[in-house]
Amino acid sequence: MMDAINKIIGWMPALIQSTGTTLALSVLSVAAALIFSVFLALGKISRNAVLSSICRAYIFFFRGTPLLMQLFFIYYTLPQLIPALNIQSRFFAAWLAFTLNVAAYLAEIIRAAIESIDKGQMEASRALGLTRGQAMRLVVIPQAYRRMIPPICNEFVMVLKDTSLVSIIALTDLTYQTKIIASNKASALVYIPAMIIYLVITGVFTFIFNRLEKRLSIYE
Amino acid sequence: MSIIKTENICKSFGSVEVLKNVSLTVEPGEVVVIIGPSGAGKSTFLRSLNRLEKSTSGKIWIDDKLIEDRVNGHNQVHMHQKERAAILLEMGMVFQRFNLFPHKTALQNVMLAPMTVKGVPEKEARAKAVKLLEQVGLGDKLDAYPAKLSGGQQQRVAIARALAMEPKIMLFDEPTSALDPELVGDVLAVMKKLAEDGMTMLVVTHEMGFAREVADRVVFMYDGVVLEEGTPKEIFTAPKHDRTRQFLQSVL
Repeated sequence: MMDAINKIIGWMPALIQSTGTTLALSVLSVAAALIFSVFLALGKISRNAVLSSICRAYIFFFRGTPLLMQLFFIYYTLPQLIPALNIQSRFFAAWLAFTLNVAAYLAEIIRAAIESIDKGQMEASRALGLTRGQAMRLVVIPQAYRRMIPPICNEFVMVLKDTSLVSIIALTDLTYQTKIIASNKASALVYIPAMIIYLVITGVFTFIFNRLEKRLSIYE
Repeated sequence: MSIIKTENICKSFGSVEVLKNVSLTVEPGEVVVIIGPSGAGKSTFLRSLNRLEKSTSGKIWIDDKLIEDRVNGHNQVHMHQKERAAILLEMGMVFQRFNLFPHKTALQNVMLAPMTVKGVPEKEARAKAVKLLEQVGLGDKLDAYPAKLSGGQQQRVAIARALAMEPKIMLFDEPTSALDPELVGDVLAVMKKLAEDGMTMLVVTHEMGFAREVADRVVFMYDGVVLEEGTPKEIFTAPKHDRTRQFLQSVL
């Protein structure tokens, strides 16, 4: 038993270092996807039929194909099609694939939250002379924020775990590092600290999201 | 010189005709109450005036300016969007379900539109909002969120919110229908005061007491048609139509 604990302690520096990649990839791709998804969601519900169709098609594509293949596509297929699009950085390729994919899911979350706000809010705003844009920005979207938080938290936790897919393009995230240690040291014990690290991270972020939700609920 | 005039407003939802050639005129300072059974098209008519519903055909003048002349749902009147928006601002509206902004306090609810639409400075908007909320008896609820207010209080905030845009006409769409009976009186009192102060009002309501006491004219709608109109006395004591008589018997 002591032997196992000593081994695990010895692996920790490498595991923690690779956790940095997992965290950075998750946070940076969800952050970028959040910004992108607002435009996608507003585009999809817009009255402009062309814009709406483009956003709809985008969401359909990225939700309808496996993330694993999207990752392959960006890292291997694109350079083969167009050599200029050869992405050198594995991290950047992974970030791009995750951002594009997650944005499609977040866009649906945002759209659903916006559409769940009572129609009377838009009507009252319009009757007061606000434009549709002003009503969205000042009345509808602020109310939708709170409803978006639980599903966004959920999505974030999924992304955090999905980042383990990047091992297929040999980016050293926590999962990949764990596999390396497991095969080099011929010990499956390394999965124990790795899973605990995933749990700690999801726990911390779930806590942060819950606090955020409470803070945004003051008026209810 | 009428402040609202409609000519042959028709409205269909699919194959259902909810308004059939509704023509109505409201003079400045007049209080017109529309009564009638549910499904008569009262609310739809009110909502078509400020474009929350788009009528299928008919003409609408606000303050003697033709803003809509619809044929097959298409408006033949071409005017700049800003010009139309300015005319629509002459109408304030109060809804059955209040529709207050739940993420804003009573004060912020009242301040939002003047600041956003008219660009009124915050300080001025706040002073005005405080005054209006005091007028509707909510001077002690300025910083309360709607969820903390009773239905009657919420509706009075909604009235103050509409008044903050200084409309010439107030449209009331069943303002007391969602209220507990004991809260109706406060809202009606505010509306009565508004009428006494000379506001032009077009009110859809089931409150026959209010219609009898405050209205200059009562309009009875049935099945999408204005069946008759007259002074409260004429309508309530000597209705011409059987339908009106039946309706009044059922509600009085």
